[in-house]
Amino acid sequence: MKLQEYQAKALFRQAGIPIPASMLASDAEQVKRAASEIGFPVVLKAQTLESGRGKAGGVRIVNKDNDVENISNEVFKLEINEQPVHIILVEKAFTFLKEYYLGIYTDLDGGMPILRVSEGGGATYLEPDSFFNTKIVDQKIDINGGLHRFQIRQLLTQIDISPTLWKQFESIALKLYKIYRENDATLAEINSLVVTHQQQLYALDVKVSIDNQALYRQEGFVDAFDPSYFGWVERKARKFGVAYHQFPGELGCIVNGIGLVYLTLDLLISKNAVPAAVIDIHGGSSVSAVASSLELLYQDERVKAILINVFGGMTMCDEIADGILAASALSRHKKPVFLRLKGTNEVRALETLSGLNNLSIFENTPDLVEGALEYLKGNA
Amino acid sequence: MSILINAESRIMVQGITGKRGRFHSERMLLGGSPIVGGTSPGKGGDWVFSGRVPVFDTVKECVDSTNADTSVIFVPTHATADAILESIDAGIKNIISITGSVPLQDMMRVKSALKNSASTLIGPNSPGVLIPGIANAGIFPDDLSVPGNIAIVSRYGTLAYELMSILKEQEIGLSAIIGIGDEPVSGIDFQTCLEFLEADPHTEKIILIGGPGGESEIKAATFIMEHVTKPVVAYVVGENLAVSIMRPFFARNGGIYLDTIGKKANAFIDAGVLLAATLEEIPNLLKR
Repeated sequence: MKLQEYQAKALFRQAGIPIPASMLASDAEQVKRAASEIGFPVVLKAQTLESGRGKAGGVRIVNKDNDVENISNEVFKLEINEQPVHIILVEKAFTFLKEYYLGIYTDLDGGMPILRVSEGGGATYLEPDSFFNTKIVDQKIDINGGLHRFQIRQLLTQIDISPTLWKQFESIALKLYKIYRENDATLAEINSLVVTHQQQLYALDVKVSIDNQALYRQEGFVDAFDPSYFGWVERKARKFGVAYHQFPGELGCIVNGIGLVYLTLDLLISKNAVPAAVIDIHGGSSVSAVASSLELLYQDERVKAILINVFGGMTMCDEIADGILAASALSRHKKPVFLRLKGTNEVRALETLSGLNNLSIFENTPDLVEGALEYLKGNA
Repeated sequence: MSILINAESRIMVQGITGKRGRFHSERMLLGGSPIVGGTSPGKGGDWVFSGRVPVFDTVKECVDSTNADTSVIFVPTHATADAILESIDAGIKNIISITGSVPLQDMMRVKSALKNSASTLIGPNSPGVLIPGIANAGIFPDDLSVPGNIAIVSRYGTLAYELMSILKEQEIGLSAIIGIGDEPVSGIDFQTCLEFLEADPHTEKIILIGGPGGESEIKAATFIMEHVTKPVVAYVVGENLAVSIMRPFFARNGGIYLDTIGKKANAFIDAGVLLAATLEEIPNLLKR
């Protein structure tokens, strides 16, 4: 999960990494006030999680008061990868002598953090091509041993940087690693780290991504995430331990485990169908999680039919059945349910469900998808 | 002989008194797998399953008393890395983590510890290892398979069950089913399983089930080309998911790159692997 630039910069400020003065603004009036407080020149930066912000015109230098309103209106009107701009970060702009890249990324295959230093500014680990033609040096970090100053120096001796800057650089790298570790980041990078005329290092642009699987212990971030990434339904679903994904179709899907989610989606899309929502209840979810998931789909007016695909290993089919029963007893909404329920405790589960109206039971995934889509076609 | 576990394996369960741990331990026992003990901190000295299985506070105590060499982990997510590290420290040979969604940095600590040990980790988010008719360490339903000569290695528990159910209907027997899990940072990968299965005299053909994200399938294809003589069938789920409507879904799921799916399929074809378009097609491909 990527953090917005201003959220990432708040972590940097807290960690004591030098960053330019900045303020947030959500309209042209606020931009104007922020700019005069910070002092010209300033740079206006559209806050977006999409890539290609600079090319889309989302980063603009403003040199004097007269230009602020026009330029900020232009930025607020932008759509970057079809996403509107709601917030601008107004930041002190200054010139610099040289720029570097300093990042900590995660080598998933090796299962370790890597410290990367490069002579090119503006590059990002997220786009490997952005390092084209610049010298890159990497240092593996043993997470149990931590990052040491000598490891940073070993990288610095391989690039073009004055030894008078080494101490500053080391200190920033150690603080960056602290940000990475304390926030369960998968990526923490400074692109660019610049050298000012006063021989000071400043972090101009930064990127931080947080590990989704660690959000349970980094709850502070969940509410801070951009609503376009984490809408209220997703947040609600997280609370009862399932993963909710919204799509623009009519079929609400409840599936256990990401493999079966992929298979079910694959079959739907191969038949030119799009779900309204997919809820991954993972392995071993509870009766109440199933009932709450169903309730979300019952309440969602876009959902015309519900597909439930479960092959239980850890998941117990009788608990799924109890969840279906509980939700249908509570809900006034009647929507047809298409079900495939196999695996642990399936016999007892199917007994529980006998006698339930509006329920069609299938033997396997292809038949289930076929059955649900036929119903939707008939009612289109 | 069989791979990872066999009839002589001394299986223990971490989290044996929890709801899931207890349920699946009992199922393994009833299926004939030897569960020698379990742990549940604070409940050491108790017995479960009518006095058949002793409970210990620590893995070390369990190993000292029972000579356990395989551990199946059912503890909650936040305690998983600690449970794996405890098993490594106690010298457990095969550690199978059923629990999944483990924070990546926790798994990095585990990977670092594994390097200096003789332990093998399967998972996290693994459904376990099943050698039909011999031993079951995990949550694989026993009744979905009969003994035979085909091995399955799958990233996804549910898709392994799907395939087992399809193969059973066609009376195709299995020599081993290994769930390697779908976590970004994890234990053994396809390649290590292929090494074991190539050497396993009970396995004649191998089926791999892969999907979006990661490099494990590509590495497996290269390894097959160079080292595997047994016929391999592969299925990569999600062929149709490389469409713009899926973009936000994958962005939320850690930015898995969809273009890897086509690459994986091609890598398998280049390696002489029979690529299945659907799980249902696999029985026919096995007959070739």
